[in-house]
Amino acid sequence: MELIIKQMPVVINALNAGFVQTLKLFSITLLGAFPLGLLIAFGSISKITPISVITRLFIWIIRGTPLMIQLLIVYYFPGLVLHNPIWGGGESGRFTAAAIAFVVNYACYFSEIYRGGILSVPVGQQEAGLVLGMTKRQIFFHVTLLQMIKRIVPPISNEIITLVKDTALARIIALQEIIWAGQAFMKGSHGISGAIWPLFFTAFYYLIFNGIVTLALTKLEDKMNYFR
Amino acid sequence: MKILEVNNIRKTFGNVEVLKGIDFSLDKGQVLSIIGSSGSGKTTLLRCLNFLETPDAGEIIVNDEVLFDAAKSHITSESQIRKNRLHFGLVFQSFNLFPQYTALENIMLAPRLLAAENNYNGKSKSEFLTQLESQANEILAQIGLSERKNNYPYQLSGGQCQRVAIARALILKPDILCFDEPTSALDPELTGEVLKVIRGLSEQKTTMIIVTHEMEFARDVASKVIFMSDGEICEQGSPSEIFENPKEERTRRFLLRYSGK
Amino acid sequence: MKKFVSKLVLFAMVLALVCSCAYAETDSEYVKAKGTLVVGITVFQPMDYKNEAGEWLGFDADLAKAFAESLGVKAEFQEIEWNNKILELNGRNIDCVWNGMTLTSEVLASMACSKAYCNNAQVVIVPANVAEKFQSVESVKGLNFAVEHGSAGMEVAQANGFKTTNVQDQATALMEVASGTADAAIIDSLMAAAMVGKGTGYENLTYTVALNSEEYGVGFRKDSDLADKLNAFFDAKYNDGSIQKLAETYKIQAALIKQ
Repeated sequence: MELIIKQMPVVINALNAGFVQTLKLFSITLLGAFPLGLLIAFGSISKITPISVITRLFIWIIRGTPLMIQLLIVYYFPGLVLHNPIWGGGESGRFTAAAIAFVVNYACYFSEIYRGGILSVPVGQQEAGLVLGMTKRQIFFHVTLLQMIKRIVPPISNEIITLVKDTALARIIALQEIIWAGQAFMKGSHGISGAIWPLFFTAFYYLIFNGIVTLALTKLEDKMNYFR
Repeated sequence: MKILEVNNIRKTFGNVEVLKGIDFSLDKGQVLSIIGSSGSGKTTLLRCLNFLETPDAGEIIVNDEVLFDAAKSHITSESQIRKNRLHFGLVFQSFNLFPQYTALENIMLAPRLLAAENNYNGKSKSEFLTQLESQANEILAQIGLSERKNNYPYQLSGGQCQRVAIARALILKPDILCFDEPTSALDPELTGEVLKVIRGLSEQKTTMIIVTHEMEFARDVASKVIFMSDGEICEQGSPSEIFENPKEERTRRFLLRYSGK
Repeated sequence: MKKFVSKLVLFAMVLALVCSCAYAETDSEYVKAKGTLVVGITVFQPMDYKNEAGEWLGFDADLAKAFAESLGVKAEFQEIEWNNKILELNGRNIDCVWNGMTLTSEVLASMACSKAYCNNAQVVIVPANVAEKFQSVESVKGLNFAVEHGSAGMEVAQANGFKTTNVQDQATALMEVASGTADAAIIDSLMAAAMVGKGTGYENLTYTVALNSEEYGVGFRKDSDLADKLNAFFDAKYNDGSIQKLAETYKIQAALIKQ
């Protein structure tokens, strides 16, 4: 116990640095996947058959393969096969590759939720907009979108909470997120080696962060309750 | 003065011919009631007039302007269809109010978006919005819902929703206002308030096409009645002609079924 | 999953063999042109680890810095996932693996390796209170071993017919023993010296039998000319005595190989 208290400041510092990577990956994934998912959703419900077929094939591939493999492919493929290691070996290249894999992966999951949300808005809403002389674009942004958002908040919340924990997968390409930072103390880092507790301590970071995310999402859900 | 002319409208879904050549015309200020059993093509006809469906053949002419000609329909652009739609208004059976907007916002949304595209017709934005809002308030007063203007649709009764839907169509000042069974989704005790509003509009000489199952109302308010059966106009004429002296056997049988209630 | 990753590694190796002739310049030209030697490592006391200030040091880390300097470039240390070391190397994400790497047959087949510079053994780690019972190869035969997947320890365990659980790295193998989920672990003797016993994080563990003897080397991309350059560097540094001095700093002088 005494030892842990002595190690605490060093460990917390290192875990914080790892957690910053986790947070960065989390936020960039959401920022990228929200709009990209919408684009993919439009593709999958497009009336132009080649577009919808290709989009659905893409969604099938991304959702049908493990994110871990996608991470490995995004990071190693350019150097191994194309002989053009565009990411470089450093932390920032690893982060970029991880972010791309995460954004694309989550965009595909989001797109299916969006698609369900768009289709669940009654056709009558669109027709009402049309006979009032609104364009399809206006109808989407002023009529459909908010109703869709209201319907998709619960399933999207689920995905967001999964994402918080999924960020740990980026370790496979040596992105030094919080679990990596925690494990480092088992091997020896900052003068501490063989310490197991920091690894388990990372759970608190996830727990607290997920608590905050859950609160925010509940608040959003409440906010959407002004209409039915 | 002729405001609407419909020539030989045909529409097929799959291999079912829903409209088999519809011809009629309407004068300004007239109220047309379309009656007929379900599946006779009444709703499809209204949807064609509002360009929610594209007829396979025929013409739609409003104020001597050919809005639609099936022979040339391939050259009709998206923006032209939009313009065409604004000649008509449509009130749906299921209201289709936008749930996330209040009654007032529902009424103001479409004209506001339209004006924004046209730079508020040369006015300042706030000036335009003030005018629009007072216009909307006027219409709300006309339909007796001034008190409920800040309520959301889920806070309104079916009859109130339908009245807001009528106001929403009216504010765009369509040449012809269409109703697709406006009281069919309502509890019987709520139909009266909606019919009263429509009656009020007819007194102001609003040109209207009303698809309805309310025979008494149709007879009362209409200046012209069309009986549709099997995708065709079986019989048309003045209310007294249709309701008192129907010439066709099918009309007689249909009316008998309804008056039997 | 692990199995899949190793298959992927194999696939990458084949791919790398097929594609290995695609670069025009030599490896040293490539490294000099970009000005950095990216050294792939994992945390491994006493070879590569961070001090309290977060700087990399250790016997391997210090030597790598000196070697990079001799090439006129800067050494950059990049932590990698050990299972992916060949992917990292062939994908040019790193330029060498310099991390107390045992020269196993797999390593020798897939990399251009330097001469051996350090002796090592795979040793058995057991809880200190039962260590007396496990002082011979015979006595440890029935135990459940935790070994790092793809490590020299795993190879030795398989050769001896031991029952093993493959884990991610040697540190995890130690944790398995400490938590009682494995009876024993097999790790590098150099690491064992630094990480178990009195004054370490694993005071209740100790090491007993050495199962083999083996050697450490540095791995470069296949056909790289840097392996020869490093051999020459080793010779020079051994002759002027600076390697021996460094080994004393990190207390591994007994394991050092004469160049």
